[in-house]
Amino acid sequence: MNWRYRFVLIGFGFLFILIVARLFYWQVVRADELSALGQAQYGRAIKLDPTRGQILTSDDFAIAANKLSYLLFANPKEIKDPQTEGVELSPFLGTDSSSISALLSLNGYWVALKSHVDEQTKEKIQNFKLPGVGFEEQTTRFYPEASMAAKLLGFVGKDENGADKGYFGLEGYYDRQLQGKSGYATEIHDALGQPILAKMNDSIGKVDGRDLTLHLDRTIQFMLDRELKDGITEYGASAGAAIVMDPKTGGILAMSAFPSYDPRHYQNYSDEEYKNSIITDVYEPGSTFKPLIMASALDAGLLTPDTKCPICAGPVAIGGYEIHTWNDQYNADETMTEVIQHSDNTGMVYVGKTLGLDRLYSYLKKFGVGDMTGIDLQGEEVPGLRPEDQWYPIDLATATFGQGITLTPIELLTAFSAIANGGERMEPHVVKSIQTPEGQIIDIPPKVLDRPISEKTSKVMTEMMVNAVENGEAKWTKLKGYRIAGKTGTAQIPVAGHYDPHQTVASFIGFGPADDPRFLMLVIIDRPTTSIYGAETAAPIFFRVAKDIMLYYGISPSE
Amino acid sequence: MIAIIIGLSVAQIAVSNKLSTNGAELALLEKDIDGYKKQNMVLNEQVLQQSALTTIDAQARKSGFVEASVPLYLSTPLPLALKQ
Repeated sequence: MNWRYRFVLIGFGFLFILIVARLFYWQVVRADELSALGQAQYGRAIKLDPTRGQILTSDDFAIAANKLSYLLFANPKEIKDPQTEGVELSPFLGTDSSSISALLSLNGYWVALKSHVDEQTKEKIQNFKLPGVGFEEQTTRFYPEASMAAKLLGFVGKDENGADKGYFGLEGYYDRQLQGKSGYATEIHDALGQPILAKMNDSIGKVDGRDLTLHLDRTIQFMLDRELKDGITEYGASAGAAIVMDPKTGGILAMSAFPSYDPRHYQNYSDEEYKNSIITDVYEPGSTFKPLIMASALDAGLLTPDTKCPICAGPVAIGGYEIHTWNDQYNADETMTEVIQHSDNTGMVYVGKTLGLDRLYSYLKKFGVGDMTGIDLQGEEVPGLRPEDQWYPIDLATATFGQGITLTPIELLTAFSAIANGGERMEPHVVKSIQTPEGQIIDIPPKVLDRPISEKTSKVMTEMMVNAVENGEAKWTKLKGYRIAGKTGTAQIPVAGHYDPHQTVASFIGFGPADDPRFLMLVIIDRPTTSIYGAETAAPIFFRVAKDIMLYYGISPSE
Repeated sequence: MIAIIIGLSVAQIAVSNKLSTNGAELALLEKDIDGYKKQNMVLNEQVLQQSALTTIDAQARKSGFVEASVPLYLSTPLPLALKQ
């Protein structure tokens, strides 16, 4: 009797273990697979594309936004007459009818015909009531101010997988922040296909892009674009660039470069046209470099504004070369203030000799020459400063008046911010703050890069530059009633080992009001033909924009 | 205790039944929300277009507005000392 009892017990025990093992297999080992099968029957996975973040100017205007558009697709299995439908769709898609008919004849259930179709075009196509054709919602990048600040913004193109990706400028630099992250949602349906409340929209992972708020002032940008474009035409130049910065924060208030492009139709332009010359192209700054050298000598305590130049009576010979003034006029015993006023190259050679190569090189490094400024735009390039041991005496001489030395416009502007900002050089920044989709605002505080000169030196140098504006070569074009500190520049362009005397880069750099600067601006005109001089081309543009800015800021004349 | 269990079970059946038929209503509400979001996006695009400075400038010129030639300053800073 006992053995029968034990046999049945063992048998049931064995069966029990078998059932548990099988249950474990289906509910644990194969759980994910069965869950997916189940979801496929009663649920639907939808890919959720994130909305790209907007780019806002300082007045909260979306200079880069998103607009609703559509992807036009077709189900070739439902199309009975691909030729006729191809002909009907061709005018709306801007493609020849044979290409469209070929797509509609493919052996498949879904084929994309055209993306980023706008609302009006969609309605027109829908009016034709074509079978087998449908629309999927998309968003398209949209620039309401057209090509304003195009070089600063960049554009949104596609990557190798066909997904949106930012290139150049802000769209490129902040692409990851703006892009966000795709997610997936599971929608559970009943037998009739209606969504069920309890398990609705179990979305995972989607994060919309972050918005960027810029320092950019839309009004100043508009004025700068207009004056620069008009100036390039007026002076017969091949190109031009201009930047306006708040010297106290490094915030970029406006940035303009021509020739430009339309980010809405970026495909119609070459790669070269996307580049922002302000951060990528180097040039010899010419006389706009002189205040940096003079400020260095003043800061080192080697010279004062009244120090007289003992070598300014005529051309200066250095290492087999002869240094002349720009107009071959010489003023013996002129003061350092007058050297800047007259933009005297021989006077600057004296300053360079007094400083010496070691000190000059050290100050150049403190002013950031040869280093990346760290501006938050994609594509900044810097040539670097030639090593000190490769400088000859003629290099030291020519560098003092901005020839034989190259830098980008943003490098020069950033270096100058030290003179305008009490001696502190600020990091240039386009973005002021970033806002997350949840509403959290991340401020980007101003950053001091270095203090190349003392506050006292910056004030002295400012007065010398105010004097240069009042009494120098650009005095006929200055803004009456305002104290503006500035310096002209006319740099010859090196061509095949020598300087072309007929082609120049004309520029003007300055800030105002001199006693409490609200803006620092650099204007560069490339190869003007009506006149080669900065005083007659870049300076008038500078002062026109300066006048507009003073009016815009409500700053009354002080004199 | 048994009555509570039975009562709660009946309540669960009633709630689940109500929820399961809300799917249709929910679908309609979602459709409405999508519609408003789309409308909002289209209106936002129009607002941005119309308030763009490039648009306003073009419209102003078309309407005959011109730039002010000479600004008139109504306030200037007083000098530090006045001559009598």
